[in-house]
Amino acid sequence: MIELINVKKYYGLSRTGLEKESVTFNDGEITGIIGENGSGKTTMLKAIMGLCELTEGRILIDGLPVTSVYGKMSFITEEGSYFPGMTPLEYGDFLKSFFAGFDMDRFLKLLEYFEIEKNSKIRNMSRGQKSKVEIAAGFSKGAKYILMDEPFLGNDMFTRHDFLKLMISSLRGEETILISTHLINEIENFVDRIVILQMGRIKADFYMDDMKETGKSLKEVLMETTGYDEEWYKKLFDT
Amino acid sequence: MIDFSNVALNIREPVYIQLVLHVKKQIAKGTASSGDSLPSRRELAAMLEINPNTVQKAYRLMEQEGFVVTEGNTGSVLNFDSHTLNLIREELTKGMVRDFISNAKELNLSFKQTIDLVSDVWDEV
Repeated sequence: MIELINVKKYYGLSRTGLEKESVTFNDGEITGIIGENGSGKTTMLKAIMGLCELTEGRILIDGLPVTSVYGKMSFITEEGSYFPGMTPLEYGDFLKSFFAGFDMDRFLKLLEYFEIEKNSKIRNMSRGQKSKVEIAAGFSKGAKYILMDEPFLGNDMFTRHDFLKLMISSLRGEETILISTHLINEIENFVDRIVILQMGRIKADFYMDDMKETGKSLKEVLMETTGYDEEWYKKLFDT
Repeated sequence: MIDFSNVALNIREPVYIQLVLHVKKQIAKGTASSGDSLPSRRELAAMLEINPNTVQKAYRLMEQEGFVVTEGNTGSVLNFDSHTLNLIREELTKGMVRDFISNAKELNLSFKQTIDLVSDVWDEV
């Protein structure tokens, strides 16, 4: 269980990351965190990972601060958590020494599946290849908590679908997954729950099945909660 | 093995309901019979790019409704008698007719007009 308790994060004196929010992510749930750029998605994930200092509040993972449970956490991010100077093979060795549950066979199998050259430096790879290394590593750590920040960026449509299929087949059912994205079509049927962020605030938090009982689509709910105006473009034609 | 490859998921209904409906339709049509096996939860989830918890939810509902049994390592299998088959057929056919009637009513058709139309168009389809 991941608990955010009155978490506030400001960058500098006034730039908002998150505004005093509390939310709990239950074990075994897959939650999509959606919102525009700058809405606080990345801040929330980084805060959970302990990668930024909180302005206020605290975050507990299974009742403990993240610093004592790093071995249970996996963070898959666009920025990459690998060392660019390493080859994927060297990176795998590094992870093995750090994560007790790291599955080297699985990591190598994923690299092969993604057609990634094991012995060339990650630095010299394309954006898409780098994100594949990141994903392969992130899913081989044997982590209980998997946090993904925009994992689909830099991937073409086919890779995105491959990635989803792969991710699903690698789940053991106990993992708790948080996935931030603005590609709602991709995750619409994949997530149990949706948290919508806007300007550092949680604007909505619901389960997909409950939402569908109301007869609405995710896109509609998203437009309603964020106040998106579909007719806005028509202003262009007004003179 | 029950075939799920032609399932087109809509974004309006809960996915697990759609999965259950898909199986019921196959049963009603006679393309699936008692004893046929269902794909593993993980396999089906990956194929349809949906959450494994959702597949689990669908399988559990089908067990509760009494036409699927799951035993240990053999996975989930269809298991129903003629009574359950009739219940499923009735549920699906009534559902279809209800939808049809509500559409007809929305177009302000009377009962007689609707029946006449059905007789006229019946052989065209």
